[in-house]
Amino acid sequence: MKTRTLTSALLSSVIAVGLVGTGSQARAEFPEKPVEMTILFGSTAQTIGQLLADLMSKNLPEPVVPVSRAGGGGAVGYQYVQSTDADGYNIVWNSNSISTSYHGGRIDFDYTAFEPIAKISVEVPAIAVRADSGWDSLTDMAADIKEKGTKLKVGASGKGSFTHLTTEAILASQGLTDMAVHVPYDQGRAPVELIAGRLDAAVQWPGQFISHHEAGTLKILCVTSAKRIGQLPDVPTCEESGAEGMDITMWRGLAAPAGTPMEVITKLEAAAKAAAESDEFKEAAQTIGFELDFADHATFGELIARDDADIAKLLEDVGLKAQ
Amino acid sequence: MDLLLSAAQVILAPDALLAVLAGSLLGVVFGAIPGLTFTVAMALVVPMSFSLAAAPAIALLLGTYIGGMTGGSVSAILLGIPGTPSAAATVLDGYQLTRRGKASLALGTAVVASAFGGIVSLLVMVASVDTVAKLALRFGPAETFGLLLFGLSTICGLAQKSLLKGLIAGVLGLLVMTVGIDEMEGVQRLTFGTIVLQQGISLLVAMIALFAVPHVIDAFVTHYTEDRRPEAIADVRAELPTLRDLAKHFWLMLRCALLGTGIGSIPGTGGPIAAFLAYAHARKSSKTPERFGRGDMGGVVAPETANNAVTGGAMIPLLSLGIPGDPATAILLSGLLIHGLIPGPMLFIEHPGEIYQIYLAIIIAYAAVVAIQLLGIRFFVQLLRVPAHLLAVGIIIMCAYGAFAIRNSVFDVVMVALLGALAYGLQRVSIPLTPIILGLVLGPSIEREFRTALILSDGDPSIFVASIPGVIFIGLTALIVGAQILRATRASLNARRTEENSHASVTSSE
Repeated sequence: MKTRTLTSALLSSVIAVGLVGTGSQARAEFPEKPVEMTILFGSTAQTIGQLLADLMSKNLPEPVVPVSRAGGGGAVGYQYVQSTDADGYNIVWNSNSISTSYHGGRIDFDYTAFEPIAKISVEVPAIAVRADSGWDSLTDMAADIKEKGTKLKVGASGKGSFTHLTTEAILASQGLTDMAVHVPYDQGRAPVELIAGRLDAAVQWPGQFISHHEAGTLKILCVTSAKRIGQLPDVPTCEESGAEGMDITMWRGLAAPAGTPMEVITKLEAAAKAAAESDEFKEAAQTIGFELDFADHATFGELIARDDADIAKLLEDVGLKAQ
Repeated sequence: MDLLLSAAQVILAPDALLAVLAGSLLGVVFGAIPGLTFTVAMALVVPMSFSLAAAPAIALLLGTYIGGMTGGSVSAILLGIPGTPSAAATVLDGYQLTRRGKASLALGTAVVASAFGGIVSLLVMVASVDTVAKLALRFGPAETFGLLLFGLSTICGLAQKSLLKGLIAGVLGLLVMTVGIDEMEGVQRLTFGTIVLQQGISLLVAMIALFAVPHVIDAFVTHYTEDRRPEAIADVRAELPTLRDLAKHFWLMLRCALLGTGIGSIPGTGGPIAAFLAYAHARKSSKTPERFGRGDMGGVVAPETANNAVTGGAMIPLLSLGIPGDPATAILLSGLLIHGLIPGPMLFIEHPGEIYQIYLAIIIAYAAVVAIQLLGIRFFVQLLRVPAHLLAVGIIIMCAYGAFAIRNSVFDVVMVALLGALAYGLQRVSIPLTPIILGLVLGPSIEREFRTALILSDGDPSIFVASIPGVIFIGLTALIVGAQILRATRASLNARRTEENSHASVTSSE
């Protein structure tokens, strides 16, 4: 009996607090309730997203709550956010996956269903080979493979994934498209398969290679961005390594459903900017392995549009474009 | 030694110690409640660990991981619903022990076995991380496929009266896990053109549905159809296992601990597989195999030792090679990364102090988990006093919430209801549920390894027997399957003969 009274007392006080809370803030400015940030993937994407949400909360009167909606290569989360009200209370921690999902035929709306808020970071794929392979550049690798006439086994994530598209771009730049086999791996197993000798090369995120690179078992041939990356200042770009004009990066940023009012977008953009420029975030960039690259909503929008066309072409080249 | 002492100083500092304890408690609670799993708990804890210093942050995550792994046995034993997939094998005998009034004994044994498994795997890791990592490297897709197939064939011998019904169940399990996007080819399978089915059916959702929903329906059916006889109050004595009880199982525990460590160190396997293999092993090596499935303590000891040994085993590829073996270690990995510890060979050279901290945190976490659970048993068993139909209401709420929490998807809640109703129907036509679980757990891994191996070999199937581990596992599989078929045909022949005899006797008497 006693417990029951206590429970009801607790319950009513919780309700009371809830009422007061909403009442006092009625008709206040955005945000008057927590903002939900949908996170589309696990691992690194989730960690960066959670950290960003945590830091953004410090710059807004209401917290930004990271909510994981993984599945379907981002399709599930994109669909969820796209279907919510365009009021800024539902934002998505997005990436190039909006374009791969759309052109791959998994969702029936494209990047224009979202209003860009800000670009936060880029991640740059890297290609690695075994240290004893004798290859020092992409050109070396290509020449050797062509001479031997054996197929190059390259490990990356599944077909249509960003690392797979990058792989195909690298292969195409060396004229190796027909001389290679793409082996799909999940959960970052490709580097280990490379060490074990079952693969000849692997395309993954640098973080997965760095320790092996430093230990001298693997050699990172190059990174696919136009400029060298902060985490690996001594590793050449793929352009330096023989792939002319190569510039492939995966950006991450924030977006809201299309039609979200501009003053809401700018508020979120400001909070994102403050978070991205904090020392904690800079430190995380080094340890987790991504490049800080803030851009405002306008610049970000242009980038997304440009990138969407590039990805559509890449997917078409490998025969995976569905729409 | 200096390193060890300074590591001890860091990890025994109040903040780190508190973090381990808090993590362990949270893990046990999440693991123990059906529907909530420690993977969810860890995802919740990660943001908290951002603001902590490295040592307490890692301690918090490790505590949650370990607490969750052991906590899963609580609801497996008490309610017959595994708190985590790794505890599915524990249900087989653990729940029967509860029905026989030995709940507290089983719980106590389970937690001690868990801690034993965890500590043994840690010792193996400390002593031979390099060797084990090198051995694990030899397990490519082809070898892992062999191992999984061997596991499947051993486990298939479990608790099935009808081979056909077992096969039906196994295939259903495989089928359910096929739904969604095939990660290798990027194509959609069985999604019927919908986005919602692209996320596929989460293993956790399927587990909740298979174990919890039939249990709940049963409880209601019994409540409303049967006469209201005053329920025999379940035996809720808090009886703890004595050292002598535990010593009886020492060798079994040691074998299962090594098995779990080995399985854990091979990427692409994991806790549930180790637990089922250990269970099969325990039954095979038992002098009284017929008691398994009816409440043999060995059937609790073996899977609980093995699934916790996986925690240490999985740390080997995680720390030395930088590959996470399962979703939980993937979260652990990001926790390490954010504090500047990049797993891989350099971690041992650049951060030996932190490695010792991790080792010590694991030991403290196990000590905490044993303490929490042994103290908790007297409270846990009180659950059995709650009338079954009321308990069922609580379970269904927790399961719906837990299913939602996995990835914040209402679809998952709906799936629990649908699959659960299906599972209840299957149970009514006496199709066993265990093979469904095996299909769920092993199916995706077997398929992935098989396909990757064939891609690597350019379609040449000889890759599966191209290495020594491959030959051994495929050979053993063939032996086991052959023996099972032989036994089955012989049994059916015998049955027919006795049937004929009985016919004969009937006619002669007329």
